[in-house]
Amino acid sequence: MDPQLLFELFVKGLVQGSIYALIAVGLTLVYGLLRILYIAHAGLFTLGGYCGVLVTNATGSFPLALAVAMVSVGLLGMVIYRLCYQPILDQPPYVALIASIGLYIALEEVYRLIFGPYGDSYDNPPFQEIVQVFGVGLKQAEIATMVATVVLLSILGLLAARTRVGIAWRATVTAPNMAESFGISILQVRYLNFFIGSALAGFAGVMVALLNNLAEPGMGAVPSYKALAIIVLGGLGSVRGTLVAALALGVIEAYGTIYLGALLDRDAIAFAFLIAVLMMRPKGLFARA
Amino acid sequence: MIGKKIAALALGAVLFGAGGAAAETVKIGFNVPLTGFAAADGKSALTGAQLAVEQANAAGGINGNKIEIITYDDQASPKNAAPGAVRLIEKDKVAVGISGSYSGATRAAAGVFQKASVPYISAYAIHPDITRAGNYVFRTSFVGEVQGRAGAKLIGEMLGKKRVVVITLKNDFGKSLARGFKEKAARFGITIVNEYEYSIKDRQFGPIVSKVKADKPDAIYASGYFFTAGPLVSQLRSGGVDAVVVGQEGYDSVKFIKIAGKASEGVIITTSLDRDSKSQETRDFIKAFEKKAGFPADMVAASGHTAVKVAVAAMRKAGTTDKKAIRDAIAATNLVASTGTISFNGLGEVQKAVQVQIVKDGAFHHYAVIDDAKLLAPPAK
Repeated sequence: MDPQLLFELFVKGLVQGSIYALIAVGLTLVYGLLRILYIAHAGLFTLGGYCGVLVTNATGSFPLALAVAMVSVGLLGMVIYRLCYQPILDQPPYVALIASIGLYIALEEVYRLIFGPYGDSYDNPPFQEIVQVFGVGLKQAEIATMVATVVLLSILGLLAARTRVGIAWRATVTAPNMAESFGISILQVRYLNFFIGSALAGFAGVMVALLNNLAEPGMGAVPSYKALAIIVLGGLGSVRGTLVAALALGVIEAYGTIYLGALLDRDAIAFAFLIAVLMMRPKGLFARA
Repeated sequence: MIGKKIAALALGAVLFGAGGAAAETVKIGFNVPLTGFAAADGKSALTGAQLAVEQANAAGGINGNKIEIITYDDQASPKNAAPGAVRLIEKDKVAVGISGSYSGATRAAAGVFQKASVPYISAYAIHPDITRAGNYVFRTSFVGEVQGRAGAKLIGEMLGKKRVVVITLKNDFGKSLARGFKEKAARFGITIVNEYEYSIKDRQFGPIVSKVKADKPDAIYASGYFFTAGPLVSQLRSGGVDAVVVGQEGYDSVKFIKIAGKASEGVIITTSLDRDSKSQETRDFIKAFEKKAGFPADMVAASGHTAVKVAVAAMRKAGTTDKKAIRDAIAATNLVASTGTISFNGLGEVQKAVQVQIVKDGAFHHYAVIDDAKLLAPPAK
């Protein structure tokens, strides 16, 4: 067993895990607030990817593309909440789930109609230089993804714990009626929640399209169910749990594809891991009360 | 009296109308993925086929009759392809069917067409079982194993690389290529150092890249489509793996070069479209396609174009819409198309040379031709 290889696989696993975390955290935010499994999230992830590629190619500015992606996808998320979810909030949860899946499928085909089936790539992808980190060569884009995950999730954590907005948000989750009687606007909290969750999906989309150098209509298909597995694994509604579960999954997949690849498909490894953990901790790693 | 005259006039009008009936359209059925994961190849195949139909109609159609192409979106899935085939045969009454789709869907449709005794041509799907459906099924492109064997000769003998890592896409396409490669690897002195597999949904290959780097191979034989091979090759190069990468016709698209960027330089592929071809057929096709589609031709488009050309030529020769006559005419094909000279063996498989292309200065260019008839012999049963 080559220790350098084992370490390199570990680092590659963390990179993949960061990607998963960025995608999954928006999903857990919405679940935590509304108990809805927001599969259409993956459709917004795809839109973020396209925004990133198309705006960078058109203007040459990656930061601008990032901003456009996050804001426009965030706004679209709010629209989706208003049009798709709010009308069915009093229905059983599977109604929202089915609507979500249907919306994702529709979005994927709409992107195919608008952007074509071939996908789009960056003309001049930024952050491609290789940097040596403890002997492992990583693209700047990969390092940026890991850093972004840590930074964004920390900001989210601070927001939730230390600001009025965050406290209002947590209050709305645990005791909506109480929160309302304190003057908190439930609707505003929900819009904010969808905006942030969707903007994070948009950000993830930009980064993934950069790492693959390809934005394609179906790029959300795998994240749509893997993110679900991750938030279940981490404990539905827990941001910290999602982060840990995502990173753990990335590392397990990295070792699994190499050493178990002959036996099990990569996704099968992910779900086998999920089942194993749930058998020991049925509510997930960091389940909320 | 008047009644009889009117009756006579009416009869005359009917007969006249029937006799002067507009020339019939000849219908060609086409199943192709227009939505779903294979939609990119579907669009290319359809555009190539449509170009062939336009060109044939401009040249007088089939003995004066216009050709119409009837398309069904099968999403590259057998459960859509089979009912689609039934509709093409029974509702649209096509004279010939063509598959612009992947192996899974084509296999399903081939069975339907064979049972209905309607000729069916697979444009680029490579699974060997397709032509085994029966004598009404033909294929204008290589069986996967044949291309894989060509890859073994290319790497072991022509490039002289002996230690090879095989990275295989886990579907009919990748697996049959790998089978053919492994079958002949030893003959050309190749040792397979390690084998890895990946799924068509994968785009991040970090762990495989790290392991391949540790394997230190002389060459990498990797199967995939442009949307998997592009990211794979890009990540191999930025992961520090310099070994030559040999791919196949799945890479054959400018999109591969766009995604992989500079990493695509020096990648060599086995395919059937030679960008630097001296053949007038090929050059004309490349020019006409780019004009119609707005982007450069790829192997799938050329294959769609070739399949339609074969069907049209056979129908012209048969001079009738009798399916058996058309089938016999297809079986006797000897036609120069953009993807080579097409003629079929007893099983309906094509025997032709393999083009080898290399990516140089951001485009595919001629590298070599493999013309070993014995090595490239397609299955005969």
